Amino acid sequence: MTVAVLRLAGVTKTFRAPRGGGDVVALSGVDLDVREGEFLTVVGPSGCGKSTMLSLVAGFAQPTAGEVLFQGQPVLEPGPERGVMFQDYALFPWRTVMGNIEFGPYALGVGKAERRGRARELIQLVGLEGFEDRYPHELSGGMRQRCALARMLANNPTMWLMDEPLAAVDLQTRIILQDELLRLWGDGGSAKRSTVLFVTHGIDEAVLLADRVVVMARRPGRIKAIVDVNLPRPRAAQRSSPALAELVGRVWDLIRDEAVRAIAEETN
Amino acid sequence: MSPALRIGLPLGALVVILIAWETAVRATGTAGLVPSPVNVARAGVALIADGTATRALAGSLQRVLIGFCVAAVIGVPIGLAIGTAPTLDRIFRPVLDAMRSVAPIAWIPMAILWLGVRGDAALFVVAYAAVFPFILNASDAARRVDGSLLAAARSLGAGRALTFGAVITPSALPFLFTGARIAMGFAWGSIIAAELAIGIKVTGQSRAVAGLGQLMVETLYVRRDVDALVFYMLMIGAVSFLIDFGMRRAQIRLMPWTLR
Ligand SMILES: Nc1ncnc2c1ncn2[C@@H]1O[C@H](COP(=O)(O)OP(=O)(O)OP(=O)(O)O)[C@@H](O)[C@H]1O
Ligand SMILES: [Mg+2]
Repeated sequence: MTVAVLRLAGVTKTFRAPRGGGDVVALSGVDLDVREGEFLTVVGPSGCGKSTMLSLVAGFAQPTAGEVLFQGQPVLEPGPERGVMFQDYALFPWRTVMGNIEFGPYALGVGKAERRGRARELIQLVGLEGFEDRYPHELSGGMRQRCALARMLANNPTMWLMDEPLAAVDLQTRIILQDELLRLWGDGGSAKRSTVLFVTHGIDEAVLLADRVVVMARRPGRIKAIVDVNLPRPRAAQRSSPALAELVGRVWDLIRDEAVRAIAEETN
Repeated sequence: MSPALRIGLPLGALVVILIAWETAVRATGTAGLVPSPVNVARAGVALIADGTATRALAGSLQRVLIGFCVAAVIGVPIGLAIGTAPTLDRIFRPVLDAMRSVAPIAWIPMAILWLGVRGDAALFVVAYAAVFPFILNASDAARRVDGSLLAAARSLGAGRALTFGAVITPSALPFLFTGARIAMGFAWGSIIAAELAIGIKVTGQSRAVAGLGQLMVETLYVRRDVDALVFYMLMIGAVSFLIDFGMRRAQIRLMPWTLR
Protein backbone atom coordinates (compact mmCIF):
# COMPACT_ATOMS: atom_id res chain seq x y z
CA MET A 1 0.00 0.00 0.00
CA THR A 2 1.20 3.50 -0.88
CA VAL A 3 1.67 6.15 1.79
CA ALA A 4 -1.18 8.39 2.87
CA VAL A 5 -0.79 11.78 1.24
CA LEU A 6 -3.49 13.12 3.52
CA ARG A 7 -4.14 11.93 7.04
CA LEU A 8 -6.84 13.03 9.43
CA ALA A 9 -6.15 11.74 12.92
CA GLY A 10 -8.79 12.16 15.63
CA VAL A 11 -10.01 15.37 14.04
CA THR A 12 -12.66 17.19 16.05
CA LYS A 13 -14.07 20.58 15.23
CA THR A 14 -16.51 22.45 17.43
CA PHE A 15 -18.11 25.77 16.73
CA ARG A 16 -19.28 28.13 19.42
CA ALA A 17 -23.00 28.43 18.84
CA PRO A 18 -24.08 31.99 18.08
CA ARG A 19 -25.88 33.73 21.03
CA GLY A 20 -25.37 31.20 23.77
CA GLY A 21 -26.51 27.60 23.69
CA GLY A 22 -24.14 24.64 23.58
CA ASP A 23 -21.28 24.22 21.15
CA VAL A 24 -21.92 22.62 17.79
CA VAL A 25 -19.76 19.56 17.26
CA ALA A 26 -19.31 19.65 13.49
CA LEU A 27 -16.76 16.81 13.43
CA SER A 28 -15.94 14.30 16.11
CA GLY A 29 -12.89 12.05 16.12
CA VAL A 30 -12.53 11.66 12.37
CA ASP A 31 -9.76 9.29 11.24
CA LEU A 32 -9.05 9.05 7.53
CA ASP A 33 -6.09 8.12 5.35
CA VAL A 34 -6.16 9.20 1.73
CA ARG A 35 -3.75 7.52 -0.69
CA GLU A 36 -1.86 9.42 -3.34
CA GLY A 37 -3.83 9.62 -6.59
CA GLU A 38 -7.02 8.40 -5.00
CA PHE A 39 -10.46 9.72 -5.89
CA LEU A 40 -12.38 9.97 -2.63
CA THR A 41 -15.98 11.12 -2.49
CA VAL A 42 -17.79 12.19 0.67
CA VAL A 43 -21.53 11.83 1.17
CA GLY A 44 -23.77 12.38 4.17
CA PRO A 45 -26.85 14.26 5.31
CA SER A 46 -26.91 18.01 5.49
CA GLY A 47 -24.94 19.34 8.44
CA CYS A 48 -22.75 16.27 8.99
CA GLY A 49 -19.57 18.32 8.59
CA LYS A 50 -18.54 17.62 5.00
CA SER A 51 -17.74 21.24 4.25
CA THR A 52 -16.05 21.58 7.60
CA MET A 53 -13.79 18.64 6.83
CA LEU A 54 -12.88 20.12 3.47
CA SER A 55 -12.11 23.53 4.93
CA LEU A 56 -9.82 21.93 7.52
CA VAL A 57 -7.90 20.18 4.76
CA ALA A 58 -7.82 23.40 2.73
CA GLY A 59 -6.41 25.18 5.77
CA PHE A 60 -9.18 27.76 6.12
CA ALA A 61 -9.77 26.61 9.67
CA GLN A 62 -7.91 24.65 12.36
CA PRO A 63 -9.21 21.54 14.11
CA THR A 64 -10.26 21.91 17.73
CA ALA A 65 -8.51 18.62 18.48
CA GLY A 66 -6.57 16.10 16.43
CA GLU A 67 -4.37 16.62 13.40
CA VAL A 68 -4.67 17.18 9.68
CA LEU A 69 -1.45 16.09 7.97
CA PHE A 70 -0.75 16.78 4.32
CA GLN A 71 2.35 15.02 3.04
CA GLY A 72 3.30 14.45 6.65
CA GLN A 73 3.09 18.10 7.63
CA PRO A 74 0.33 19.69 9.74
CA VAL A 75 -1.92 21.92 7.66
CA LEU A 76 -1.70 25.41 9.11
CA GLU A 77 -2.91 27.58 6.24
CA PRO A 78 -4.20 27.39 2.67
CA GLY A 79 -1.66 26.57 -0.01
CA PRO A 80 -1.59 26.37 -3.80
CA GLU A 81 -0.77 22.65 -3.77
CA ARG A 82 -4.27 22.11 -2.38
CA GLY A 83 -6.64 23.54 -4.96
CA VAL A 84 -10.20 24.33 -3.91
CA MET A 85 -13.37 24.41 -5.95
CA PHE A 86 -16.21 26.06 -4.06
CA GLN A 87 -19.86 25.18 -4.17
CA ASP A 88 -20.77 28.74 -5.14
CA TYR A 89 -17.79 28.85 -7.54
CA ALA A 90 -16.37 31.93 -5.77
CA LEU A 91 -15.22 33.35 -9.09
CA PHE A 92 -13.96 36.92 -8.92
CA PRO A 93 -16.82 38.87 -10.50
CA TRP A 94 -14.54 41.70 -11.63
CA ARG A 95 -12.21 39.39 -13.51
CA THR A 96 -12.86 37.82 -16.87
CA VAL A 97 -12.62 34.07 -17.44
CA MET A 98 -8.98 34.57 -18.43
CA GLY A 99 -8.37 36.84 -15.43
CA ASN A 100 -9.86 34.33 -13.02
CA ILE A 101 -7.84 31.42 -14.36
CA GLU A 102 -4.65 33.48 -14.40
CA PHE A 103 -5.07 34.60 -10.81
CA GLY A 104 -3.36 31.62 -9.17
CA PRO A 105 -0.23 31.66 -11.32
CA TYR A 106 -0.15 35.45 -10.98
CA ALA A 107 -0.27 35.18 -7.19
CA LEU A 108 2.63 32.74 -7.35
CA GLY A 109 4.68 35.15 -9.46
CA VAL A 110 4.54 33.27 -12.77
CA GLY A 111 5.48 35.57 -15.66
CA LYS A 112 2.83 36.97 -17.95
CA ALA A 113 3.61 34.98 -21.09
CA GLU A 114 3.78 31.69 -19.21
CA ARG A 115 0.60 32.16 -17.22
CA ARG A 116 -1.27 33.29 -20.34
CA GLY A 117 -0.14 30.16 -22.09
CA ARG A 118 -1.16 27.94 -19.21
CA ALA A 119 -4.53 29.65 -18.94
CA ARG A 120 -5.17 29.24 -22.70
CA GLU A 121 -4.38 25.56 -22.43
CA LEU A 122 -6.81 25.14 -19.53
CA ILE A 123 -9.50 27.15 -21.29
CA GLN A 124 -9.24 24.73 -24.16
CA LEU A 125 -9.19 21.76 -21.84
CA VAL A 126 -12.44 22.76 -20.14
CA GLY A 127 -14.04 23.91 -23.38
CA LEU A 128 -14.29 27.65 -22.78
CA GLU A 129 -12.65 28.83 -26.00
CA GLY A 130 -14.18 32.06 -27.19
CA PHE A 131 -15.30 33.04 -23.70
CA GLU A 132 -11.93 34.26 -22.41
CA ASP A 133 -13.11 37.86 -22.12
CA ARG A 134 -16.49 37.19 -20.57
CA TYR A 135 -17.23 38.09 -16.98
CA PRO A 136 -18.66 35.36 -14.71
CA HIS A 137 -22.11 36.95 -14.70
CA GLU A 138 -22.16 36.59 -18.48
CA LEU A 139 -21.67 32.82 -18.26
CA SER A 140 -24.13 29.98 -17.78
CA GLY A 141 -23.93 27.90 -14.61
CA GLY A 142 -22.10 25.10 -16.38
CA MET A 143 -19.58 27.51 -17.86
CA ARG A 144 -18.93 29.06 -14.47
CA GLN A 145 -18.21 25.63 -13.13
CA ARG A 146 -15.74 24.94 -15.92
CA CYS A 147 -14.11 28.26 -15.21
CA ALA A 148 -13.85 27.46 -11.50
CA LEU A 149 -12.39 24.08 -12.38
CA ALA A 150 -9.80 25.62 -14.69
CA ARG A 151 -8.91 28.18 -12.04
CA MET A 152 -8.36 25.41 -9.49
CA LEU A 153 -6.17 23.52 -11.96
CA ALA A 154 -4.07 26.54 -12.95
CA ASN A 155 -1.67 26.06 -10.05
CA ASN A 156 -1.26 22.36 -10.81
CA PRO A 157 -2.45 21.33 -7.34
CA THR A 158 -1.63 17.79 -6.29
CA MET A 159 -4.79 17.71 -4.20
CA TRP A 160 -8.21 18.75 -5.47
CA LEU A 161 -10.71 19.79 -2.81
CA MET A 162 -14.17 20.07 -4.28
CA ASP A 163 -17.30 21.01 -2.32
CA GLU A 164 -20.42 19.98 -4.23
CA PRO A 165 -18.96 21.39 -7.41
CA LEU A 166 -21.72 20.07 -9.66
CA ALA A 167 -24.68 20.68 -7.37
CA ALA A 168 -26.03 23.77 -9.05
CA VAL A 169 -26.33 22.64 -12.68
CA ASP A 170 -28.99 20.73 -14.53
CA LEU A 171 -28.75 16.96 -14.94
CA GLN A 172 -27.44 16.84 -18.52
CA THR A 173 -24.74 19.40 -17.76
CA ARG A 174 -23.83 17.47 -14.63
CA ILE A 175 -23.33 14.24 -16.55
CA ILE A 176 -21.15 15.98 -19.13
CA LEU A 177 -19.12 17.70 -16.43
CA GLN A 178 -18.66 14.42 -14.54
CA ASP A 179 -17.16 12.86 -17.66
CA GLU A 180 -14.94 15.87 -18.21
CA LEU A 181 -13.80 15.91 -14.64
CA LEU A 182 -12.87 12.24 -14.85
CA ARG A 183 -11.00 12.82 -18.11
CA LEU A 184 -9.06 15.75 -16.63
CA TRP A 185 -8.20 13.70 -13.58
CA GLY A 186 -6.83 10.89 -15.78
CA ASP A 187 -9.58 8.32 -15.55
CA GLY A 188 -8.55 6.74 -18.84
CA GLY A 189 -5.01 5.82 -18.17
CA SER A 190 -1.54 6.15 -16.90
CA ALA A 191 -1.17 9.89 -16.24
CA LYS A 192 -0.06 10.79 -12.74
CA ARG A 193 -3.30 11.51 -11.00
CA SER A 194 -4.04 14.14 -8.42
CA THR A 195 -5.65 13.16 -5.14
CA VAL A 196 -9.28 14.21 -5.00
CA LEU A 197 -11.57 14.90 -2.07
CA PHE A 198 -15.00 15.42 -3.57
CA VAL A 199 -18.07 16.30 -1.48
CA THR A 200 -21.44 15.62 -3.05
CA HIS A 201 -25.10 15.09 -2.27
CA GLY A 202 -25.47 12.81 -5.27
CA ILE A 203 -25.02 9.17 -4.26
CA ASP A 204 -24.89 8.04 -7.91
CA GLU A 205 -22.25 10.62 -8.58
CA ALA A 206 -20.28 9.63 -5.48
CA VAL A 207 -20.14 5.99 -6.52
CA LEU A 208 -19.50 6.71 -10.19
CA LEU A 209 -16.46 8.89 -9.57
CA ALA A 210 -14.85 7.33 -6.55
CA ASP A 211 -12.27 4.78 -5.60
CA ARG A 212 -13.79 4.97 -2.15
CA VAL A 213 -16.95 6.59 -0.83
CA VAL A 214 -16.81 8.08 2.65
CA VAL A 215 -20.26 7.95 4.27
CA MET A 216 -20.74 10.38 7.13
CA ALA A 217 -23.25 10.63 9.94
CA ARG A 218 -24.33 13.65 11.94
CA ARG A 219 -24.73 14.83 15.53
CA PRO A 220 -21.86 14.66 15.95
CA GLY A 221 -20.34 14.64 12.47
CA ARG A 222 -18.34 11.45 12.02
CA ILE A 223 -17.40 8.79 9.50
CA LYS A 224 -19.98 6.02 9.48
CA ALA A 225 -18.52 3.76 6.81
CA ILE A 226 -16.14 3.72 3.90
CA VAL A 227 -17.31 1.86 0.80
CA ASP A 228 -14.76 0.57 -1.73
CA VAL A 229 -15.70 0.97 -5.36
CA ASN A 230 -13.84 -1.67 -7.30
CA LEU A 231 -15.29 -0.88 -10.71
CA PRO A 232 -13.02 -0.68 -13.76
CA ARG A 233 -12.01 2.67 -15.18
CA PRO A 234 -12.78 4.61 -17.30
CA ARG A 235 -15.99 5.03 -15.40
CA ALA A 236 -17.92 6.79 -18.16
CA ALA A 237 -18.53 3.30 -19.55
CA GLN A 238 -19.93 2.07 -16.20
CA ARG A 239 -22.89 4.41 -15.89
CA SER A 240 -25.44 1.68 -16.43
CA SER A 241 -23.57 -1.28 -14.97
CA PRO A 242 -25.49 -3.42 -12.43
CA ALA A 243 -22.50 -3.45 -10.10
CA LEU A 244 -22.65 0.33 -9.87
CA ALA A 245 -26.37 0.26 -9.15
CA GLU A 246 -25.82 -2.26 -6.41
CA LEU A 247 -23.17 -0.09 -4.75
CA VAL A 248 -25.44 2.94 -4.97
CA GLY A 249 -28.06 0.91 -3.15
CA ARG A 250 -25.61 0.00 -0.43
CA VAL A 251 -24.53 3.59 0.15
CA TRP A 252 -28.14 4.71 0.18
CA ASP A 253 -28.97 2.11 2.82
CA LEU A 254 -26.19 3.53 4.96
CA ILE A 255 -27.47 7.08 4.94
CA ARG A 256 -31.22 6.73 4.52
CA ASP A 257 -32.16 6.80 8.21
CA GLU A 258 -29.84 9.73 8.87
CA ALA A 259 -31.19 11.63 5.91
CA VAL A 260 -34.78 11.08 6.95
CA ARG A 261 -34.02 12.25 10.47
CA ALA A 262 -32.16 15.32 9.17
CA ILE A 263 -35.13 16.33 7.06
CA ALA A 264 -37.51 15.79 9.97
CA GLU A 265 -35.39 18.06 12.17
CA GLU A 266 -35.16 20.72 9.53
CA THR A 267 -38.90 20.87 9.00
CA ASN A 268 -39.59 21.14 12.74
CA MET B 1 -43.81 49.22 -29.16
CA SER B 2 -41.22 50.20 -31.72
CA PRO B 3 -38.24 52.28 -30.55
CA ALA B 4 -39.38 55.21 -32.72
CA LEU B 5 -42.77 55.22 -31.01
CA ARG B 6 -41.25 54.77 -27.58
CA ILE B 7 -39.30 57.99 -27.98
CA GLY B 8 -41.80 59.71 -30.27
CA LEU B 9 -44.90 59.41 -28.11
CA PRO B 10 -43.65 61.03 -24.89
CA LEU B 11 -41.88 63.67 -26.97
CA GLY B 12 -45.11 64.40 -28.82
CA ALA B 13 -47.00 64.63 -25.55
CA LEU B 14 -44.43 67.10 -24.23
CA VAL B 15 -44.76 69.31 -27.34
CA VAL B 16 -48.54 69.30 -27.03
CA ILE B 17 -48.35 70.32 -23.37
CA LEU B 18 -45.88 73.11 -24.13
CA ILE B 19 -48.02 74.49 -26.96
CA ALA B 20 -51.13 74.37 -24.78
CA TRP B 21 -49.30 76.09 -21.98
CA GLU B 22 -47.95 78.83 -24.25
CA THR B 23 -51.37 79.41 -25.77
CA ALA B 24 -52.97 79.63 -22.33
CA VAL B 25 -50.47 82.24 -21.12
CA ARG B 26 -50.94 84.34 -24.27
CA ALA B 27 -54.70 84.06 -24.23
CA THR B 28 -54.97 85.20 -20.61
CA GLY B 29 -52.36 87.91 -21.07
CA THR B 30 -50.50 86.83 -17.94
CA ALA B 31 -46.98 86.80 -19.44
CA GLY B 32 -44.51 88.13 -16.89
CA LEU B 33 -46.61 86.88 -13.99
CA VAL B 34 -46.81 83.30 -15.19
CA PRO B 35 -43.86 81.80 -17.00
CA SER B 36 -44.36 80.65 -20.57
CA PRO B 37 -42.22 78.23 -22.57
CA VAL B 38 -41.12 80.80 -25.16
CA ASN B 39 -40.25 83.40 -22.54
CA VAL B 40 -38.35 80.88 -20.46
CA ALA B 41 -36.34 79.90 -23.52
CA ARG B 42 -35.71 83.55 -24.36
CA ALA B 43 -34.60 84.31 -20.81
CA GLY B 44 -32.35 81.25 -20.87
CA VAL B 45 -30.61 82.31 -24.06
CA ALA B 46 -30.02 85.79 -22.71
CA LEU B 47 -28.75 84.60 -19.32
CA ILE B 48 -26.36 82.17 -20.92
CA ALA B 49 -25.22 84.71 -23.52
CA ASP B 50 -24.27 87.36 -20.95
CA GLY B 51 -22.68 84.77 -18.69
CA THR B 52 -24.94 85.33 -15.67
CA ALA B 53 -26.25 81.77 -15.57
CA THR B 54 -23.00 80.04 -16.41
CA ARG B 55 -21.02 82.03 -13.85
CA ALA B 56 -23.51 81.18 -11.13
CA LEU B 57 -23.54 77.55 -12.19
CA ALA B 58 -19.74 77.43 -12.08
CA GLY B 59 -19.84 78.96 -8.59
CA SER B 60 -22.29 76.37 -7.32
CA LEU B 61 -20.53 73.46 -9.01
CA GLN B 62 -17.23 74.49 -7.53
CA ARG B 63 -18.62 74.39 -4.01
CA VAL B 64 -20.37 71.11 -4.65
CA LEU B 65 -17.17 69.56 -5.91
CA ILE B 66 -15.09 70.80 -2.99
CA GLY B 67 -17.73 69.76 -0.46
CA PHE B 68 -18.07 66.38 -2.14
CA CYS B 69 -14.32 65.76 -2.02
CA VAL B 70 -14.06 66.87 1.62
CA ALA B 71 -16.94 64.49 2.44
CA ALA B 72 -15.24 61.62 0.59
CA VAL B 73 -11.91 62.16 2.34
CA ILE B 74 -13.59 62.22 5.75
CA GLY B 75 -16.37 59.71 5.13
CA VAL B 76 -14.65 56.80 3.36
CA PRO B 77 -12.00 56.10 6.02
CA ILE B 78 -14.54 56.44 8.84
CA GLY B 79 -16.88 54.08 6.99
CA LEU B 80 -14.20 51.49 6.28
CA ALA B 81 -13.04 51.65 9.90
CA ILE B 82 -16.47 51.08 11.43
CA GLY B 83 -17.23 48.48 8.77
CA THR B 84 -14.24 46.34 9.73
CA ALA B 85 -14.28 46.88 13.51
CA PRO B 86 -17.59 45.97 15.16
CA THR B 87 -16.49 47.70 18.36
CA LEU B 88 -16.03 51.03 16.59
CA ASP B 89 -19.38 50.49 14.94
CA ARG B 90 -21.11 50.00 18.30
CA ILE B 91 -19.49 53.12 19.72
CA PHE B 92 -20.01 55.54 16.85
CA ARG B 93 -23.14 54.29 15.10
CA PRO B 94 -25.57 55.98 17.54
CA VAL B 95 -23.65 59.26 17.30
CA LEU B 96 -23.66 59.09 13.53
CA ASP B 97 -27.33 58.18 13.39
CA ALA B 98 -28.18 61.08 15.66
CA MET B 99 -26.16 63.50 13.53
CA ARG B 100 -27.61 62.10 10.35
CA SER B 101 -31.15 62.71 11.45
CA VAL B 102 -30.53 66.46 11.70
CA ALA B 103 -31.33 67.78 8.22
CA PRO B 104 -28.30 69.49 6.66
CA ILE B 105 -30.43 72.58 6.02
CA ALA B 106 -30.95 72.94 9.76
CA TRP B 107 -27.24 73.62 10.08
CA ILE B 108 -27.43 76.75 7.94
CA PRO B 109 -27.93 79.21 10.82
CA MET B 110 -24.99 77.68 12.73
CA ALA B 111 -22.89 77.64 9.60
CA ILE B 112 -23.62 81.29 8.99
CA LEU B 113 -22.85 82.07 12.61
CA TRP B 114 -19.46 80.36 12.43
CA LEU B 115 -18.44 80.96 8.87
CA GLY B 116 -20.23 84.18 7.96
CA VAL B 117 -22.49 84.87 5.04
CA ARG B 118 -20.07 83.59 2.49
CA GLY B 119 -19.61 80.58 0.30
CA ASP B 120 -17.96 78.74 3.19
CA ALA B 121 -21.25 78.29 5.01
CA ALA B 122 -22.77 76.68 1.92
CA LEU B 123 -19.67 74.54 1.55
CA PHE B 124 -20.06 73.30 5.12
CA VAL B 125 -23.66 72.34 4.55
CA VAL B 126 -22.77 70.52 1.34
CA ALA B 127 -19.98 68.54 2.97
CA TYR B 128 -22.27 67.71 5.90
CA ALA B 129 -24.98 66.42 3.59
CA ALA B 130 -22.56 64.36 1.50
CA VAL B 131 -20.51 62.78 4.26
CA PHE B 132 -23.17 60.34 5.50
CA PRO B 133 -23.73 58.45 2.25
CA PHE B 134 -19.98 57.98 2.09
CA ILE B 135 -19.79 56.68 5.67
CA LEU B 136 -22.76 54.34 5.35
CA ASN B 137 -21.77 52.85 2.01
CA ALA B 138 -18.11 52.47 2.90
CA SER B 139 -18.99 50.61 6.10
CA ASP B 140 -21.36 48.41 4.13
CA ALA B 141 -18.67 47.79 1.54
CA ALA B 142 -16.18 46.68 4.15
CA ARG B 143 -18.70 44.38 5.82
CA ARG B 144 -19.86 42.75 2.64
CA VAL B 145 -16.62 41.39 1.22
CA ASP B 146 -17.51 37.81 0.31
CA GLY B 147 -15.73 35.38 2.63
CA SER B 148 -15.49 32.66 0.00
CA LEU B 149 -13.70 35.07 -2.37
CA LEU B 150 -11.18 35.78 0.35
CA ALA B 151 -10.76 32.04 0.90
CA ALA B 152 -10.40 31.45 -2.83
CA ALA B 153 -7.70 34.08 -3.11
CA ARG B 154 -5.80 32.64 -0.18
CA SER B 155 -5.93 29.09 -1.51
CA LEU B 156 -4.71 30.32 -4.88
CA GLY B 157 -1.60 31.67 -3.20
CA ALA B 158 -2.46 35.34 -2.71
CA GLY B 159 -0.80 37.19 0.16
CA ARG B 160 -2.17 40.11 2.14
CA ALA B 161 -1.26 42.82 -0.34
CA LEU B 162 -2.70 41.01 -3.35
CA THR B 163 -5.82 40.12 -1.41
CA PHE B 164 -6.36 43.75 -0.48
CA GLY B 165 -5.66 45.03 -3.96
CA ALA B 166 -7.32 42.31 -6.02
CA VAL B 167 -10.22 41.22 -3.80
CA ILE B 168 -11.16 43.70 -1.08
CA THR B 169 -10.76 46.85 -3.16
CA PRO B 170 -12.74 45.75 -6.22
CA SER B 171 -15.48 44.25 -4.10
CA ALA B 172 -15.81 47.50 -2.13
CA LEU B 173 -15.71 49.82 -5.14
CA PRO B 174 -19.28 49.42 -6.39
CA PHE B 175 -20.65 50.25 -2.92
CA LEU B 176 -18.33 53.24 -2.67
CA PHE B 177 -19.48 54.35 -6.08
CA THR B 178 -23.12 54.03 -5.12
CA GLY B 179 -22.30 56.05 -2.01
CA ALA B 180 -20.61 58.67 -4.18
CA ARG B 181 -23.66 58.94 -6.42
CA ILE B 182 -26.01 59.42 -3.48
CA ALA B 183 -23.56 61.87 -1.89
CA MET B 184 -23.43 63.84 -5.11
CA GLY B 185 -27.22 63.98 -5.24
CA PHE B 186 -27.38 65.22 -1.64
CA ALA B 187 -24.59 67.73 -2.26
CA TRP B 188 -26.27 69.24 -5.30
CA GLY B 189 -29.62 69.38 -3.53
CA SER B 190 -28.25 71.06 -0.45
CA ILE B 191 -26.06 73.59 -2.26
CA ILE B 192 -29.14 75.14 -3.82
CA ALA B 193 -30.96 75.14 -0.50
CA ALA B 194 -27.97 76.63 1.29
CA GLU B 195 -27.46 79.30 -1.32
CA LEU B 196 -31.14 80.18 -1.26
CA ALA B 197 -30.95 80.63 2.49
CA ILE B 198 -27.72 82.59 2.45
CA GLY B 199 -28.29 84.34 -0.85
CA ILE B 200 -29.94 87.68 -0.44
CA LYS B 201 -27.08 89.45 1.37
CA VAL B 202 -24.26 88.10 -0.71
CA THR B 203 -25.58 89.38 -3.97
CA GLY B 204 -24.86 92.94 -2.92
CA GLN B 205 -21.28 92.33 -1.78
CA SER B 206 -19.57 89.89 -4.05
CA ARG B 207 -21.12 88.57 -7.22
CA ALA B 208 -18.02 86.51 -7.83
CA VAL B 209 -18.83 83.82 -5.25
CA ALA B 210 -22.57 83.81 -5.88
CA GLY B 211 -24.08 80.51 -6.99
CA LEU B 212 -27.33 79.52 -8.63
CA GLY B 213 -29.33 79.66 -5.40
CA GLN B 214 -28.17 83.21 -4.69
CA LEU B 215 -28.95 84.21 -8.23
CA MET B 216 -32.46 82.85 -7.78
CA VAL B 217 -32.96 84.90 -4.62
CA GLU B 218 -31.86 88.00 -6.45
CA THR B 219 -34.07 87.15 -9.40
CA LEU B 220 -37.02 86.72 -7.07
CA TYR B 221 -36.66 89.82 -4.90
CA VAL B 222 -34.82 92.27 -7.14
CA ARG B 223 -35.64 91.44 -10.70
CA ARG B 224 -38.95 89.64 -10.20
CA ASP B 225 -38.38 87.64 -13.35
CA VAL B 226 -40.47 84.45 -13.29
CA ASP B 227 -39.16 83.23 -16.62
CA ALA B 228 -35.58 83.36 -15.43
CA LEU B 229 -36.57 81.56 -12.22
CA VAL B 230 -38.08 78.70 -14.16
CA PHE B 231 -35.05 78.60 -16.38
CA TYR B 232 -32.81 78.20 -13.29
CA MET B 233 -35.04 75.42 -12.01
CA LEU B 234 -34.70 73.58 -15.30
CA MET B 235 -30.96 74.13 -15.18
CA ILE B 236 -30.74 72.66 -11.67
CA GLY B 237 -32.68 69.59 -12.79
CA ALA B 238 -30.62 69.14 -15.93
CA VAL B 239 -27.34 69.45 -14.08
CA SER B 240 -28.30 66.89 -11.43
CA PHE B 241 -29.47 64.53 -14.17
CA LEU B 242 -26.23 64.96 -16.12
CA ILE B 243 -24.07 64.43 -13.05
CA ASP B 244 -25.84 61.20 -12.14
CA PHE B 245 -25.88 60.03 -15.74
CA GLY B 246 -22.15 60.70 -16.03
CA MET B 247 -21.41 58.87 -12.79
CA ARG B 248 -23.50 55.87 -13.84
CA ARG B 249 -21.70 55.71 -17.18
CA ALA B 250 -18.39 55.91 -15.38
CA GLN B 251 -19.44 53.05 -13.12
CA ILE B 252 -20.38 50.87 -16.08
CA ARG B 253 -17.11 51.68 -17.80
CA LEU B 254 -14.95 51.13 -14.74
CA MET B 255 -16.87 48.19 -13.23
CA PRO B 256 -18.60 46.22 -15.97
CA TRP B 257 -19.24 43.32 -13.58
CA THR B 258 -21.70 45.40 -11.55
CA LEU B 259 -24.05 45.38 -14.54
CA ARG B 260 -26.54 42.68 -13.87
N1 LIG C 1 -18.59 28.87 10.95
C1 LIG C 1 -19.49 28.13 11.64
N2 LIG C 1 -19.98 28.59 12.82
C2 LIG C 1 -20.87 27.86 13.52
N3 LIG C 1 -21.33 26.68 13.15
C3 LIG C 1 -20.88 26.15 12.00
C4 LIG C 1 -19.95 26.86 11.18
N4 LIG C 1 -19.69 26.10 10.07
C5 LIG C 1 -20.42 25.00 10.21
N5 LIG C 1 -21.14 25.01 11.36
C6 LIG C 1 -22.03 23.95 11.84
O1 LIG C 1 -21.34 22.73 11.77
C7 LIG C 1 -22.16 21.70 11.25
C8 LIG C 1 -21.55 21.09 10.01
O2 LIG C 1 -21.57 22.05 8.99
P1 LIG C 1 -21.04 21.75 7.52
O3 LIG C 1 -21.24 22.98 6.72
O4 LIG C 1 -19.67 21.21 7.57
O5 LIG C 1 -22.05 20.64 7.05
P2 LIG C 1 -22.19 19.96 5.61
O6 LIG C 1 -22.08 18.51 5.80
O7 LIG C 1 -21.26 20.60 4.65
O8 LIG C 1 -23.70 20.33 5.25
P3 LIG C 1 -24.32 20.60 3.81
O9 LIG C 1 -24.52 19.27 3.20
O10 LIG C 1 -25.64 21.25 4.15
O11 LIG C 1 -23.40 21.48 3.06
C9 LIG C 1 -23.52 22.33 11.01
O12 LIG C 1 -24.33 22.05 12.13
C10 LIG C 1 -23.24 23.79 10.93
O13 LIG C 1 -24.32 24.54 11.40
MG1 LIG D 1 -21.51 21.83 2.89
